[in-house]
Amino acid sequence: MQSANMLLKKFVRSSVLPFAAQHGMKKDLFPVSRTLSLSLCLKQDNSCSPSEKLDLDAWKKVMKSGLQEVSETVSEHKELSTLAAAREMLEMWRLAGRSVPENISEEQLQAFMECPSKSAKKKYLRYLNLKELYKKNDRRKMDEKRERRLETQEQASKTDETRRNSFICLWASCMDRAYSWRVAQSMIFGQPLVFDMSYEKDMSVREVTNTVRQIVLSESWNRRSVDPFHIHFCNFKDDSLYHKEFVKHYRAAWGKLLITATDQCYTEVFPKDKLIYLTADSPKVMKTFDHDKIYIIGSMVDKSIKTGVSLARAKRLGLETAALPLEKYLLWNAGAKNLTLDQMMRILLTLKDTGDWKKALEFVPKRKYCGFVNRPIHELKKSLNLINTLKLGKRQEELQKQFAKNYSKKLMQK
Amino acid sequence: MALFFQTSQQGFQTLLWKCRLFWPVSRCQQLFAVSFSIPNREKVSYFSFMTSSNTALPVGSKRTDVFPTKKRSEVNSEEKHGWDEETKEISEGKCHFSSSVGAPKKHQGLSRHKFTNVQPPEKPLEAEEWNRLRESFPSPEIFEEVMFNSMVRCNSPIDVAKSLLTHVAKSNGDVPYNLLVKYLVLCVQQRQTSEICDVYDIMKIRFKILESGAYNVLIRGLSNSEQWRMALTLLEEVKKIMTPSRTNYESCIKAASRHQEMNLAFELYHEMLAKDLIPTLDVLQAFFDFSRGMKGAELQKELFGILLYLRENQIYPHKTFMRSIKLWFESIPGGNWRGHLTNIKDSGQCPVCNHQLEDSDLTEEEYNNLRERIIRDVIHGTDTFRKTSPQEFEAFQTFVENRLPFDIVIDGLNVSHIKPRKMHCENLFDAVNCLAKDNARLLVLGRKHMLINSSNWKREIMKEMQNKADFFFAENISEDDAFLLYATLQSGKHCKFVTRDFLRDHKACLSNSLTRHLFRKWQRGHQIVFSPSVKGKHIKFLPAFRYDCVVQTTGDTWHIPYKDTFEEKDSYRVPRKWLCIQQK
Repeated sequence: MQSANMLLKKFVRSSVLPFAAQHGMKKDLFPVSRTLSLSLCLKQDNSCSPSEKLDLDAWKKVMKSGLQEVSETVSEHKELSTLAAAREMLEMWRLAGRSVPENISEEQLQAFMECPSKSAKKKYLRYLNLKELYKKNDRRKMDEKRERRLETQEQASKTDETRRNSFICLWASCMDRAYSWRVAQSMIFGQPLVFDMSYEKDMSVREVTNTVRQIVLSESWNRRSVDPFHIHFCNFKDDSLYHKEFVKHYRAAWGKLLITATDQCYTEVFPKDKLIYLTADSPKVMKTFDHDKIYIIGSMVDKSIKTGVSLARAKRLGLETAALPLEKYLLWNAGAKNLTLDQMMRILLTLKDTGDWKKALEFVPKRKYCGFVNRPIHELKKSLNLINTLKLGKRQEELQKQFAKNYSKKLMQK
Repeated sequence: MALFFQTSQQGFQTLLWKCRLFWPVSRCQQLFAVSFSIPNREKVSYFSFMTSSNTALPVGSKRTDVFPTKKRSEVNSEEKHGWDEETKEISEGKCHFSSSVGAPKKHQGLSRHKFTNVQPPEKPLEAEEWNRLRESFPSPEIFEEVMFNSMVRCNSPIDVAKSLLTHVAKSNGDVPYNLLVKYLVLCVQQRQTSEICDVYDIMKIRFKILESGAYNVLIRGLSNSEQWRMALTLLEEVKKIMTPSRTNYESCIKAASRHQEMNLAFELYHEMLAKDLIPTLDVLQAFFDFSRGMKGAELQKELFGILLYLRENQIYPHKTFMRSIKLWFESIPGGNWRGHLTNIKDSGQCPVCNHQLEDSDLTEEEYNNLRERIIRDVIHGTDTFRKTSPQEFEAFQTFVENRLPFDIVIDGLNVSHIKPRKMHCENLFDAVNCLAKDNARLLVLGRKHMLINSSNWKREIMKEMQNKADFFFAENISEDDAFLLYATLQSGKHCKFVTRDFLRDHKACLSNSLTRHLFRKWQRGHQIVFSPSVKGKHIKFLPAFRYDCVVQTTGDTWHIPYKDTFEEKDSYRVPRKWLCIQQK
């Protein structure tokens, strides 16, 4: 190495010969540029510059020499099946640092292949990657927890103190039993709340899974509330995607769930005049929570907002509709006004218990609004009038004239 | 004590980065790094911290409750290095991953956004110097990647990159793929063809296939060099694994046409169209640029084909592209073409050659097709109840049938908002009066709330209007636009409609692009809009286009509408400027 470097120095100093000491294959394509770059280095006048001692193309040698054996095996290019090729592709993407999962199952690979476009593929991979990361992290946390628990147990065994307590530690199961009693009561006496399960064909598979996850959450909030609703799943078909997903979530508990699932429509189960369909597109705004009415929530997640789908359902059946008074109570900031099912559930539960809108609308995500509207209505009207006069500027007198015509002459004289 | 050390370290660090002349300083700095940051990191590694949400790291990991918070905050404050504050998160976050294999990749997202303040060295460094730098870096796992990113950003000389690669190769016996790709990007940036080829050879030996990113860079790099034929072979290779992107084709086509291989370029172009890739305007422009002054009937036919492609897809070239077209026409040997820039009169006559442009009427068949589509996709869609209801639509249909044909259909609510300072019904009244001249049959579409006497809708005025025009009131929650389209189409060719709406959402409901183009064409020819500049009391309308605004030819003339800027204008906006080309 040393001697080679000495040689190199001599070469460079003595002449501006085309410098061809490279080991690359296409070494003399651009001889001029090579020498140029070297002479540039020389011009930087500090004679102890490290670049002289460096063999800049050493990495190529390393790569090529270390891979002789590898290349022999690789060079047997055999035609791969499409799946295997896709796997290879993913592996390369992973090496390139894209967000691609490390392990991918056959079904997922198949789903990946079936994605219609490049961007769909990218999104799907990203989703899998995130999922994998979450899993890994959860496992890591579990392990840490276990270690900590063992440590504390060791410490406890050292101290070895016996605790006296009149309650045996059976919190969870006791609570469960208490909750179940409540829900069972609500099944008999409670106010019905309907989930309309007729939107399966309007959703993608992932949207359906999200919907089911949200309903499971809602059900658990309902179970833990003081005065639960009696939940109905209407238009619920057996062997639908919904059903499959529910079984996946609840496993054995699905059969023991304290809800009413029926394939009938809500109009067949309940009197029509009592039903109110909750939808964000409704022109009517809900003023108060009515304890005698039966509210219907459409079990739909629409990532790409599908306006008017649930309103159309209600129109078709001639039902009354209502929307939450979000505009009225919240200074809306950004985001769609369709809330998730579990948020909806918690809002309704709170309304049912307290009737307090402010408390209920706490469950609207904080990012979507700036704050509560808490000023009385007449003040708002005043400021609105002010804004109007400012906007209309010159026409103030005319407005006053109209005002005068409509009301009384006394105002004119003032 | 500790504090003092940190500040001094920070000072050194900045010194180090700002004036890299004093390399010896780095040794001192090194000492501090060893004595400080490493113990710190060890301390931190017991915790899991929240990280920013845009990373690949899971969010919302709850802090562990083993240590009291006070201690944690202490560690936090100790973590502040001379690097910028944000890096802190990374050095903490990375402790999640005990496995050293996956760790660097986890920070892809991070490294791209953070560390923008890293300055690559200006000269190749020795292995020890790289080592030193690496150790002073808050998260050594991603040091090389960050360094390469900043080299690409600052366009460092490739010798610096080479020295880093050499260092990596010597210490690991291998260079990871992502660094090779980044190095490749640097080479492409500086057009180092021989280096690109070398890296490609190494990659081929080392990996069975490459991924799309590397192929993109390679093809782009090679197509700009003398080795452009290699880019073509690479394109073939890409085809084996996946559909090449349109940029791949773009590079290859440009390279081929730059070297006057027009046939090859057109072959690639047709292949690209067959794969449903949409060519960029750049590619189309390149064709015109590089075939300037070339002879050949075949070539001419191909370029005319491109112009017809613009026509079919209702694409308007931008100014520079238009110039290329003009120059090409004028350069055809013996063609005697002359191009002029002009504005077309409202009558549809070209002031330069007095040629009458195509009118914007659809054929009978196209009319029927469009009407069917509007009824099926826009009005009914997935559920008739979404926009109207079956009873209402039926009622509307019979209403229209009994009163056909109309001359002008007005979107009442839209028109009523023209002048914000006037009452709604006054606006509508003005519009109706303005349009009701010469006994035109009008239809006004509205909603039922217009019938209720209110401050904006006076009953008397409404009554008076109903003597001059037919009115149809839809339900308050129905869509009136769809009715507008239906009534206009039902009335026939001569019928126009009035609204300020661009009808984008209705166009989007149509299921195929052919119908969408048809819809736009029909809209251009039948929509009456207000002239916005009028300050007076009266409402003025701009008549609908009489001529069709697309690239068009008669054989010895071409008329090409063009945009002033490259920015994509909305599809409803129509350029007013034209290029007129005629053969003497």
